[in-house]
Parts: sequence; C-alpha cells; structure tokens
Amino acid sequence: MSYEEWYRQDRLPHIYCAGCGNGTIINCTLAALEQMAWKKEDTVFVSGIGCSSRAPGYIVTDSLHTTHGRAIAFATGVKLANPDLHVVVITGDGDLAAIGGNHFIHACRRNIDLTVVCMNNQIYGMTGGQGSPTTPLGCLSTTTPYGCVETPFDLCDLAIAAGANYVSRWTSYHVKELEKAVLAGLQTPGFSFIEALVQCPTAFGRRNKFKQVADQVEYLRSHSMLKAKRDRLLEQGEHIPGDMFVVGELERRNRPALGVKR
Amino acid sequence: MKLAIDETRCKGCNLCTKVCPYKIFKEGKKANRKGIIIPELDRPERCTNCRLMHLYGRTLCGVCQLTCPDQAIHWVEELPYEPKKVAIEY
Ligand SMILES: Cc1ncc(C[n+]2csc(CCOP(=O)(O)OP(=O)(O)O)c2C)c(N)n1
Ligand code: SF4
Ligand code: SF4
Ligand code: SF4
Ligand SMILES: [Mg+2]
Repeated sequence: MSYEEWYRQDRLPHIYCAGCGNGTIINCTLAALEQMAWKKEDTVFVSGIGCSSRAPGYIVTDSLHTTHGRAIAFATGVKLANPDLHVVVITGDGDLAAIGGNHFIHACRRNIDLTVVCMNNQIYGMTGGQGSPTTPLGCLSTTTPYGCVETPFDLCDLAIAAGANYVSRWTSYHVKELEKAVLAGLQTPGFSFIEALVQCPTAFGRRNKFKQVADQVEYLRSHSMLKAKRDRLLEQGEHIPGDMFVVGELERRNRPALGVKR
Repeated sequence: MKLAIDETRCKGCNLCTKVCPYKIFKEGKKANRKGIIIPELDRPERCTNCRLMHLYGRTLCGVCQLTCPDQAIHWVEELPYEPKKVAIEY
C-alpha cells in the first residue's frame, strides 16, 4: 500500500489550520508505515484528545479516539489483549505529558511494544492556546500572558529515564529524518517514542512573533542541534546555547519488553 | 508525470515554496474561488519525478509532498501526446 492509500481520501482536506505542522507529521508517519508492509487490518491507531489526536480519523485502519490523556492506556489494553496487532499512538504534548503523564512514564517502564508519535506544538492547540508542560521559558500563551516561568519537560529525556527502547526527536522541517525515525520506531520491539516538534501558527506562532508559518519552521530548523554535534561540544567543554534542542536518535536499546508479537 | 497542486486541498501556507531544491513553487498572487492564494509552479517539468518516477518505480526527493501539511501535492499522469515544454538545467 502506498502512503496515499493509508489516508482516508474521502475525509480530506482535514480540519487543521493552514500551515499546521500536524499534517506533515501524518505524512511522515504513513510514509514510514508504507515500508513496513503491514496490513491495514492488523494495524491500530490510538489517540487521545487534541488537534494532534484527530489524526487517526484520517487513516484507513481501525482506530480509537479516546479520552484526553488516555491514549497510551487504551493502546496498552489493545496490545496486551492481542499482541499480534501493530499499535501506533498519535498524541499531543498536552495529551501525553500533562494529563497523560503517568501513563507515559509507566508505559516506558513496562516497555510495551507500542510506537508513540508525539506532535509537540508546545501548546494546547485545540482549546485555544493554554500553556502546556513543554511551553518553553518566556513564551506567551493564554495562561502565561507575561511569559512562561516554568521549566518545560524534555519529553525524550523523560522517555529515556523511564526505560523506552527507542527514542528520537525531529521537527516538521526534518521530514526525511522523521520518516526514518518513525520507521525505526515501528521496527523496534518495545516502547518507541518519536517526538516531532511542530509549528502551530494559530495558538503558538501568532502569540510568539512568528508572523508567517515558515518563520516558525525556520526557527525549528535553526534551533535544532544534531546529537553528534551536541556530544562533540560537550566533550570539548563548550557552551551550548539554552534555546537549542537536540535532534536525532537519542536512545536505542534492548530492555525486556511487554506485548511483543508472538 | 506532471507535478500538480490539488486546489481543493491547498490552504496556501506556502511551506512548499521553502523546501524545493529547484524552487519550483513560487508564492501565488491571485486568490482562488475559496479566497486561498495557491502557489504558482515555475517550470514544474524540472522536478525529477516528472521524468523518473516511472523509470525508478518510486518517488524520488518528494520533500514537497512530505512537507505539504494538506496532502495537496501530487503527480498526475499526462494525457497521451500532451504537448509539453522541456526544460534543461545545466
Ligand atoms: C479530561 C479532559 N480535560 C480537559 C479537556 C480539554 N482539552 C481538550 S484538548 C486539550 C489540550 C490538548 O493539547 P495537546 O494534547 O497538546 O493537543 P494539541 O491540540 O496541541 O495538538 C484539553 C486540555 C478534555 N477534553 N478532557
Ligand atoms: S490550533 Fe494549532 S495545532 Fe490545532 S489545528 Fe490549528 S495550527 Fe494545528
Ligand atoms: S505546502 Fe501544500 S498547502 Fe501549503 S501552499 Fe504548498 S501546496 Fe498549498
Ligand atoms: S519532489 Fe523535490 S524536486 Fe520535485 S517539486 Fe518536490 S521538492 Fe521539488
Ligand atoms: Mg499541543
């Protein structure tokens, strides 16, 4: 099946705002899926609530659009009830790390054979732009009108510390790399976590001096630092600017996993 | 094959104008019936896929298609004997 066939073409165009990065991440996820030669009958998409979580509604497989924050909890149930299914979770930063934070770390600990793609727009997009646990310091949102003063979560560090088998981070600019990362995640037994930083022009960009959609994508490009470069700088004891984030494959290991296909 | 933007899907975000190595997508000027300004294609026959997609049996490059958040970029079959311009890049 080509990746266009994984889309429910009759449901497109989707409801996302013009320039919303979520559409790009669905493209990359399905392009990776295309290479797995999985049947759509054996694949399940699970999501919670949020703009990002509407993605499974545009995909031909069976899917669960669950309650806010519970995507991983439902996915755990699906996977343990029938380990022969391939279960992919699509979630947002609020869905995964705020209300669903505990499900996230415990799924990493249990190392359940899921692939979780988090569309991190650093904001609650759907409800109009409240700050989320990943809103960067100083950024404006409706709940942080003077700039965010809370230190954000690093979702990848969280997943690594909690025990996920595969962790990587890319952005909506790095489409080819993201496709490869999702593919690696789908192939890895155990919990795979792929964080994709995305632009949200409506709820985030508009309030944070990104006048055009492309401005925020350019910010994501210019503020991402490859893991290899970060490691080299650390080794040389050089300073890494605080507004840079690391992209690349951050973890790949083989801890005992749960729910792997028999 | 022919590179095309699906007008029923494009929302005019102009991200495609930033990613193509040949700069085939240019910001459009006129709004369409829905009020969306769709990018214009500058000599789209230069896209590698127009010539090589069938030969290789897969999509080459394809960065614009992966990037387009609205699944609006695709390649369509040409009609038999459809007149076309040939652009050669040095
Ligand atoms: C139990 C519950 N609490 C709160 C909400 C309201 N709510 C809907 S979406 C959302 C935040 C979504 O943020 P995120 O997961 O980052 O998704 P995004 O829209 O940014 O993609 C909230 C708080 C809800 N639907 N259910
Ligand atoms: S509010 Fe933000 S995340 Fe939601 S569809 Fe619009 S741009 Fe995308
Ligand atoms: S990226 Fe897609 S939606 Fe955006 S302007 Fe180009 S064709 Fe239209
Ligand atoms: S496939 Fe590549 S070369 Fe062809 S139009 Fe898209 S970005 Fe340009
Ligand atoms: Mg969000």
